[in-house]
Amino acid sequence: MKTSYLFPHRFILPAGIIFIISLLSLVLYTTSLNDLGLSLNTPVFAIMSDDVIGADPVYFGTMENNIIDELLILAVILSGIVLAFAKEKHEDEMVANIRLQSLAWATIANYGIITFCYLFIYGLPFLTVLMVAMFSQLLIFIVLFRYKMVRFYNTLQHEE
Amino acid sequence: MKNNIKVQRAIQNLTQQDLAEKIGVSRQTINALEAGKYVPSTVLALKLSRLFEKPVNEIFQLEQGD
Repeated sequence: MKTSYLFPHRFILPAGIIFIISLLSLVLYTTSLNDLGLSLNTPVFAIMSDDVIGADPVYFGTMENNIIDELLILAVILSGIVLAFAKEKHEDEMVANIRLQSLAWATIANYGIITFCYLFIYGLPFLTVLMVAMFSQLLIFIVLFRYKMVRFYNTLQHEE
Repeated sequence: MKNNIKVQRAIQNLTQQDLAEKIGVSRQTINALEAGKYVPSTVLALKLSRLFEKPVNEIFQLEQGD
């Protein structure tokens, strides 16, 4: 059985490195480095924008924006997708089964967490929740699947 | 569902690794199959049947509750 939607196995290592670096940078940037005045203001195309500080709303036009967080999110999501859906070294039907199970559990856990946060977090901190929710499912899935694969590979010991 | 892959493998004098390579899965998958932790697809069951030269029914049996 051939699966066509998975990325080649050799992408795992580079995608993993980019994922960890960009995720850490994103967390650092949004939590503390934001205050350092580090910015990369560039004219961008916006479908819709409404500046809280009182600038005119923009529809299908250009505007100035700091694009550091956009670039970091792009790196996190692209590398995360490749890392999450790359072939294993010995891809077979049991690996596919473990992947499906991990994906189901990650989805359930993710929506559990989001529901919990929706019910108990209010105001501005909820924006952080929404931000994290953009890639939390991917993150939970990657961690869960890797953990299950490590356990699967370790069953090697008890043979015959 | 239970199976006697371990017995069939012993008859053919194959290690888990040999069997895994012959039917194109990982050794861990054979291990999970023998331990009854994983139910294979029809394709894999037929491959095992062809390799052992036994009908699928002789390798895999339904259990109560299946």
